Amino acid sequence: MSADPLDTLATIGKGKSTRSALRVVILALIAAASIASRLFSVIRFESIIHEFDPWFNFRATKYLVANGFYSFWDWFDDRTWHPLGRVTGGTLYPGLMVTSGAIWHALRALTIPVDIRNVCVLLAPAFSGLTAIAAYLLTNEMTTSNSAGLLAALFMGIAPGYISRSVAGSYDNEAIAIFLLVFTFFLWIKALKQGSMLWGALCALFYGYMVASWGGYAFITCLLPLHSFVLICMGRYSTRLYVAYTTWYALGTLASMQIPFVGFLPVKTSEHMPALGIFGFLQLLAFLDYVRSAIPSRQFQSFLWIFAGGIFTIGLAGLVVATSAGIIAPWSGRFYSLWDTGYAKIHIPIIASVSEHQPTAWPAFFFDLNMLVFLFPVGVYLCFQELADEHVFIIVYAVFGSYFAGVMVRLMLTLTPVVCVAAAIAISTLLDTYLDTKTPPEDQQSAEGSEKKSAKPGLKSASKPVVGVYSIWSKGLMVGSFSIYLLIFVLHCTWVTSNAYSSPSVVLASRMPDGSQHIIDDYREAYQWLRQNTKEDAKIMSWWDYGYQIGGMADRPTLVDNNTWNNTHIATVGKAMSSREEVSYPIMRQHEVDYVLVVFGGLLGYSGDDINKFLWMVRIAEGIWPDEVNERSFFTPRGEYRVDGEATETMKNSLMYKMSYYNFNNLFPPGQAVDRMRQARLPEVGPTLSTMEEAFTSENWIIRIYKVKDLDNLGRDHISAAAFDRGQKKRKATKKRGPRVLRVE
Amino acid sequence: MKTSAVFSAALSLLSSLSLVSAASSSSESSSSTILPSTFKPAPVFKNTNLVHIISVEKNFVKENINAVIENVAKTPQNAYYLPFTSDQISRLGGVEVKDRKDSSAPPFVAEVVEFDKESDVQYLRIQLAKPLAPGAQQTIGITYYLLKAYSPLPATMKQEETQFLTYSFSAYAPSVYNTLKQKTEVKFPSSNFPDYTKLPGTGDITEFPQKQGSKLTYGPFGEVAAGSVQPITVRFEFNKPVTHVARLERDVEVSHWGGNVAFEERYELYHRGANLSSLFNRVKWQQSQYYQPNTYALKELKFPLRVGSADAYYTDVIGNVSTSRFRSNKREALLEIKPRYPLFGGWKYPFTIGWNSDAKNFVRTTPAGGYVLSVPFLEGPKQIEGVEYEQVELRVILPEGAENVKYHTSIPSQSITSANVEIHKTFLDTIGRTALIIKARNLVDDFRDRDLVVSYEVPLAASLRKPLVIFVSTLAVFVAVWAVGTLDLNFASSKKK
Repeated sequence: MSADPLDTLATIGKGKSTRSALRVVILALIAAASIASRLFSVIRFESIIHEFDPWFNFRATKYLVANGFYSFWDWFDDRTWHPLGRVTGGTLYPGLMVTSGAIWHALRALTIPVDIRNVCVLLAPAFSGLTAIAAYLLTNEMTTSNSAGLLAALFMGIAPGYISRSVAGSYDNEAIAIFLLVFTFFLWIKALKQGSMLWGALCALFYGYMVASWGGYAFITCLLPLHSFVLICMGRYSTRLYVAYTTWYALGTLASMQIPFVGFLPVKTSEHMPALGIFGFLQLLAFLDYVRSAIPSRQFQSFLWIFAGGIFTIGLAGLVVATSAGIIAPWSGRFYSLWDTGYAKIHIPIIASVSEHQPTAWPAFFFDLNMLVFLFPVGVYLCFQELADEHVFIIVYAVFGSYFAGVMVRLMLTLTPVVCVAAAIAISTLLDTYLDTKTPPEDQQSAEGSEKKSAKPGLKSASKPVVGVYSIWSKGLMVGSFSIYLLIFVLHCTWVTSNAYSSPSVVLASRMPDGSQHIIDDYREAYQWLRQNTKEDAKIMSWWDYGYQIGGMADRPTLVDNNTWNNTHIATVGKAMSSREEVSYPIMRQHEVDYVLVVFGGLLGYSGDDINKFLWMVRIAEGIWPDEVNERSFFTPRGEYRVDGEATETMKNSLMYKMSYYNFNNLFPPGQAVDRMRQARLPEVGPTLSTMEEAFTSENWIIRIYKVKDLDNLGRDHISAAAFDRGQKKRKATKKRGPRVLRVE
Repeated sequence: MKTSAVFSAALSLLSSLSLVSAASSSSESSSSTILPSTFKPAPVFKNTNLVHIISVEKNFVKENINAVIENVAKTPQNAYYLPFTSDQISRLGGVEVKDRKDSSAPPFVAEVVEFDKESDVQYLRIQLAKPLAPGAQQTIGITYYLLKAYSPLPATMKQEETQFLTYSFSAYAPSVYNTLKQKTEVKFPSSNFPDYTKLPGTGDITEFPQKQGSKLTYGPFGEVAAGSVQPITVRFEFNKPVTHVARLERDVEVSHWGGNVAFEERYELYHRGANLSSLFNRVKWQQSQYYQPNTYALKELKFPLRVGSADAYYTDVIGNVSTSRFRSNKREALLEIKPRYPLFGGWKYPFTIGWNSDAKNFVRTTPAGGYVLSVPFLEGPKQIEGVEYEQVELRVILPEGAENVKYHTSIPSQSITSANVEIHKTFLDTIGRTALIIKARNLVDDFRDRDLVVSYEVPLAASLRKPLVIFVSTLAVFVAVWAVGTLDLNFASSKKK
């Protein structure tokens, strides 16, 4: 391989317009690829909203589209949290719904008949394309090499850490929030570099959008002040920083306070205090800067110490007093669990019961980031080498992002952008070094020539020391191996997306014996049954995981849902599920429950069922009623959690156990009933239910719905009524035996 | 060459048909006549012989009255009235009256007389083709359908039991004229009909009815005065679903650019059979699938579509339903769907199906430059037990700018309640597409084979409008972007220059 074709290849892209055209084409292709790679589930299954939370967002979007913006803003939802209801309009982040509503209206205005569901399903992929472009812009602020931006866009587009929350159908706040996060950071860097009020205002605008979209906005609220603080500590205070920060803070805070759910939090809670503090600090610095220019330096020194010390003490004291007086709310539970990972498990089981709030396992980093996780430190190191203001930002972001990602699985999402940026910087620096076709004049011979030359040390020492890699072999090896790594990265991303993140979890896929795909659609079967064949206002009690799905698919009022704003109410449901029928029935009557829905995986071997989640119900109920519900009594004396004949009496008598296994043994020959999920052989006599009756069971028994019986017509309690009904049958049996006994009067 | 000749011949036939229909459709736009509220039909006819056949074989009732009528008035008469109760008239559909002696003659016009909404007796007026001279006789055959006709007895039962339905009617055929001789036959789906009203017999028959296989015969009766009623109730086994479509919306969208006809049907399906006395039990259901597959629950619907149908889909309000099969080949296109859950009495299941077909299969051009679209009026499921449709709304969406729309259908005009041409906007339309909306009621799946023929014209300008509009608006966007790009919003630029 001679240098000629390489040179011509390099000159093709030399022209400025050719380069920018190429960049646009490549960026468009990256955006297209990032959209396409998120469509697995649509192609494999259908255009469907995934999992749990998206169903609420979808329902809220439908409400917005149907009733208009103002009634959405004032929406009081009496179909959730029965009988409390939920001030939905004031307790959600409306950004997502408003975005898709606006898109829908725009398409309608163009008379394109698109279903709001399809807008919602495809919103996340569409925004991931934008995120890729935002990552490109952000990275371009870090290096002069354009290839870094393109690589960052590519990484951002397909990194599993981000795909996990943005596949088609994953209609959650994160779908647009990550784009807003990256883009706000880009605008912040731009504002900081230029000291421009315009960019600062734009940054504030997108920050406001971010606040409207995701609770994770606090990440920006803390990161930008932190960045500023680090810069100040490094002695890099400048008017650029002052302009950028104050513009962002003043406008951004005002914008964020327009969201009802946020309201006065930016001036009231501890999470927002750093931003406020740095804002004040910057004013002081500006003032001092001014004073320094006005008075002699000796006086200034003493003035500075007194002034700064005094202000700091007053500020800190004020903060402490305000917090203890209750004016400023202390850190919320979720924030505490960020510092102490064991906190939630002890104090707030409801947060700990969510799998995505668990600390991250190490393999998850590799799973979600693949080789980027190795390149990430290299990129950060390269940032240290240059260490301009924007590189400090990457470093600060990297440190905090890594910490949070280590604490909570879910926050892998906020780490991914910086990993992509840093890794892109690393790879592009490597490639720029190794792909440099320029060779020094004395080295214009072929590769053999250079080898010969290295064999003669005398010549080498005589020539000027040349820095760079010129051997075609080392170039080839390096570039080749990195091409392979990048290819493997693409393969890994595709594999992870296809296998781990593209399941709607509403629909399960299995294989028929002939290899064809068989869809297990029990959830929707049962929800559709509820929707069509029960009263419009029939209240459904289920564990909170299914609240949003019931609201979205079955369109029926629920007692608790995934919003989890009222721990006591959830504990009430937990208590009803984990207590004896005699205890549960009055609870259900008091809450006007008509149907109870449980998820049972025993027939199919489906692991996400209620028996597996049961201990959380017990724990949450125990948190409120420690005297009535006791986790220990659900374990056998040997400490095992069993469902078979060895299960404890408390377990066997709990409503959840009864509802899960009611009638199950009739499906098998006597004594052969097996729970395939837990590999347990069930007792020959199944549980009996007296206060409720089976209303519907889906095809594979995943969803079981029970109807709560009305009060007995004769005023008996249900236990004795049911016993009487059973007793009658027994009496008939004794009558049959009757004639054998001779009666003597 | 030869085929094209045949083609054009067929087309000209179609076009003449549509022109004929246009004339007739304008006259039958109102399917009822308004008469004074004190109206009562005059006794100008008598039925010399009448056979009333009631078929309860399907989940709707099909009644057939064959009568020899004689004019007993002094003047020629052309309006024969048939009485119904006001409840029946709301469930009455598909009325067709034919001359039994002349099968090639077009059916007589039958329409509901509108005179007094409060009256319990309502009339159907049959317009004879020519007035019947005094003393002359004519044989007419009246066929009509009654929907929602049965009530299950027992009304609630267990899911593994057998369903029985009851139907009440009069042993004497309803008539406003005296009837000299008549008999009533009832046809059942099976020979199991345990209960039926018994009447004392006449002549050499000691007791009515007579039972022959799956048929009951009441009569022959002697002379019966006008308006006489002899209530009869029969109870019969009907272990099949009582499928009732409360509303069917059927869209037929013709695209000339795409060369495609898209069908979409939205069903609101009910099971009107016996309700469950104890709630649904999956164990029993799964067991009965093996031991006793015959059930009154609705498990499956089969839609034989026109050959060449493709891309079938089956969804409901919460998304795609995976339990469907679609087989399309040269000979058939069969869509088999299963509801998400087996449908028992009182349960409801709304769903949507749709499919595409090549426009060649349905649209022809006429020599005059117009188009003729011929589609089935109904393409609902074909079930052994039948399907009844209470409300049908058929929307034929023609290309944008289509005009001069005429239609013809062989669906009985009594069932068609309205037909309008409206505007439907979709897919980047500027003026909207022409949509023919036909509303019909009380139809049954016996009318599956009836066609709807629509003729229309599309001027060239109308078909070129859309590409032009898209081109111009895209151009405008580019120009606007370019114009915005040239603006210089920078504060400092003027100083630097």
